[in-house]
Amino acid sequence: MKLLFEIGAEELPARAVYEAEAQLPGLAERHLGRAPSEVYVGPRRLAILVDGLEEQTGDEWIKGPPVNLREQAAAGFAKRHDVAVDDLEERDGFLGIVAQPRSLSELLPEQLDEILRGLRFGKTMRWDDSGLRFPRPVRWTCARLDDAAVGGHGTTTWGHRFTHGEVDVPSAEAYVEVLRDADVEPVAAVRERLIRDGLDGLGEWRDPLGKLREVIHLVEKPSVVDGRFDERFLALPERVIETAMQSHQRYFPLGGDRFAIVANGGEPDVVRAGNEQVLEGRLDDATFTFERDLQAGIEELARRLGSIVYFAGAGTFADKTERLRKLVDRLGGGDASLEAARLAKADQASELVREFPELEGSIGAEYARLAGFPEAVCAAIAEQYLPDSAGGPLPATEPGRVLAAADKLDTLTVSFSLGHKPTGSRDPFGLRRAAIGLCRLATEGSLTIPRELMPEDVGEFVEERFEGLLDVPVEFVRAARAATVRDLGSVARLAQALAALPDERLEPIHTAYIRASRLGEQEEAAPKLDPKLLTEPAEQEVERALEEVEPELTAALETADFDAAVAAGARLGPALHRLFDEVLVMDEDPKVRANRLRLLLDVRETLRALGDLGQIPR
Amino acid sequence: MALNFQDMIAALQAYWAERDCVVMEPYHTEVGAGTFTPDTFLRCLGPDPWRTVYVQPCLRPSDGRYGENPYRFQQYYQLQVILKPSPEDILDEYFGSLEVVGIDTRRHDVRLVEDDWEGPTLGAWGLGWEVWVDGMEVTQFTYFQQLGGMDVEVVSGEITYGLERLAMFLQGKRTAFDLEWAPGITWGDVYRENERQWSVYNFEEAPVDILMRRFEEHEAECAHLLARRLPLPAHDQVLKASHAFNLLDARGAISVTERASYIGRVRDLARRVAEEYLEAAV
Repeated sequence: MKLLFEIGAEELPARAVYEAEAQLPGLAERHLGRAPSEVYVGPRRLAILVDGLEEQTGDEWIKGPPVNLREQAAAGFAKRHDVAVDDLEERDGFLGIVAQPRSLSELLPEQLDEILRGLRFGKTMRWDDSGLRFPRPVRWTCARLDDAAVGGHGTTTWGHRFTHGEVDVPSAEAYVEVLRDADVEPVAAVRERLIRDGLDGLGEWRDPLGKLREVIHLVEKPSVVDGRFDERFLALPERVIETAMQSHQRYFPLGGDRFAIVANGGEPDVVRAGNEQVLEGRLDDATFTFERDLQAGIEELARRLGSIVYFAGAGTFADKTERLRKLVDRLGGGDASLEAARLAKADQASELVREFPELEGSIGAEYARLAGFPEAVCAAIAEQYLPDSAGGPLPATEPGRVLAAADKLDTLTVSFSLGHKPTGSRDPFGLRRAAIGLCRLATEGSLTIPRELMPEDVGEFVEERFEGLLDVPVEFVRAARAATVRDLGSVARLAQALAALPDERLEPIHTAYIRASRLGEQEEAAPKLDPKLLTEPAEQEVERALEEVEPELTAALETADFDAAVAAGARLGPALHRLFDEVLVMDEDPKVRANRLRLLLDVRETLRALGDLGQIPR
Repeated sequence: MALNFQDMIAALQAYWAERDCVVMEPYHTEVGAGTFTPDTFLRCLGPDPWRTVYVQPCLRPSDGRYGENPYRFQQYYQLQVILKPSPEDILDEYFGSLEVVGIDTRRHDVRLVEDDWEGPTLGAWGLGWEVWVDGMEVTQFTYFQQLGGMDVEVVSGEITYGLERLAMFLQGKRTAFDLEWAPGITWGDVYRENERQWSVYNFEEAPVDILMRRFEEHEAECAHLLARRLPLPAHDQVLKASHAFNLLDARGAISVTERASYIGRVRDLARRVAEEYLEAAV
């Protein structure tokens, strides 16, 4: 049998619609025993179609107490299930009853109720005294089992809010057709296609702020209408125009003075005229604000930063600017980055950013450009928040990379010092993104970011990101993090060099490292190696190898040639191999023993420059 | 022919009056939004039903632009409708009100766009929408969930029309100054000079030291009135303290950190007033 279940609500936020869409299949499966064949979601309805439901449940064996506990437990079990003790049956050593088959129509009201109440949302409300919580008020439910009604639920739905009222749903099968006749497209994918086709038909469209996902669930009957605004607004920077279009109004820029509206109905000419007026109003407002900012000028805006708090407990934006300049300096930034740091946060004092926070950075760059600053400075200001997503592009310019790294270092340091370390999935300040950005600036961006610029907890948090970012087993990252290398990118490159070492070359130095660690912990080693006590050829060979390898390894690390450093370390391998084969470290003579332990510890200390090899499992 | 400003207001009031709303007159003390007035904030506490409609002038000192910006004013009008408890057909009732001012909901694109409302100084929040007509936000619609830091006993629906915006839409005007208020009189005729003078006051002349002192005085008076179990006069002191804070903010006299602390102080007063109001009602 085919079941339709629809939850009708007042206009749900798109976020809630996506939350419901993700949960409905699982809930149907749990409560109806079958996954839905279709899930329909949109602003006013969440619905499922479930195929192949059985009219009756099968005989169900309800297992009770074991037979040998008949005396103690049978009466209670029988009472709970409302049968006489004599009616209990025996199966496989247990008492129990065979439950009568129940009809689906009898079970459904409760099952559907559980689906409705089982949905979980980030933000819910109440609206009456029913006790139900939902993102917006639920106004109806509609259910059909084939063409039969389901107790406790209606058999009607509501069409488009303004063109159709309540309409009858004669059967589960007819649901989609009934809605389409009532100006509602229930299939989100079809709505998306209609919108995309409509936009394609108008030309090149863009969605810089990613609004389409939301717009799909803002309409039930999408129609795409194009509009124009007065050319005088083209004097505004393109980003400002696009942000005015998208951030609040959810329009799609079509280039030049054209834009697209996704409407939920109405007459196209009427809808166009109204929206054009609204957008021109917003652009008028933006122009007014933009001109006031320009009148102040970027230098004046920068001067106002002392009265704007950056973060409670972390001073003003003027303080932040000062810290950025110091960081840029320590990152080796040149004049352009220093100048960019000085002006980086000026737009926080602008009226336009207060209006459209998503313009931060880009509008500051625009104001710097209009004030005649060199393009390198302007570009760095524009790029300071990059990368703004895990895979997003890095700043294209060197000053931009330096400033972006400084900004992230400061954000992380300040947030951690105030106790805002991300926990679980909660990361309200975007610190994970900042840390990943920093790692990528160090690797892909080849920026030298000294590790000493990060307090210990920040450094740990940032370097942990490499575990997910680098294509090497996490243990190699952990090993490399313990190395003495001085900058962030070196940690990554060292991890990669270690991971690239073939097993047979890694094995001996790894073993030496582990054994030296283990033995060194148990026994007292000699404070200093005494070459005279090295009697066995194998140990003398290790000593010679060590003398050779150490300066090479150090030199390779100095020049950040990690492959060479790892190769140098690995050259200790054959000698160590022989040592373990031929020499008993734990000699009976305590002096010899202590000296051999010292030799092993010296090997370990040398290898330690490559990290904590003990992290790598063998 | 589109309704002029005063006829539009009269039509909306009549519409809601027919639906058993008490037509109140504006509250006499400065507020930033109709939600602050006792006819909303206090009446939406507790179990008693209440339906009202009233115009409320709203003062937002930092939004003033000396009468030079077409969209921003330090004073504008809201039409506030409270339906407590919120009826099942509240949205249909609301859309009916758009029809009476001449908006044919089949010809226009009328949309409910998510808007989570939060009033930090009132310790209040609710969920609802902005109502768009062809992209123009003409109403804020909220189901109150908390007021004065407490879960509401009965959920009220708050419908707040932005009267200038709505009139601009109806009359097809790009600026509020050009709205026809009454035959031959525009909104600008009535208020342009008002905007200029008050912007000067709000941004330049409002006396910072005196306002700071006043804030403290209102706070103290509120506490005193609460001790005397007089929540209604105490509530006015909350409004006055809040307005003093808004003026100080417009004067740029409050840093962002201090801001949070001022807001916290007003919220604390509002919470105590709400508690006392409920106590006194029993």
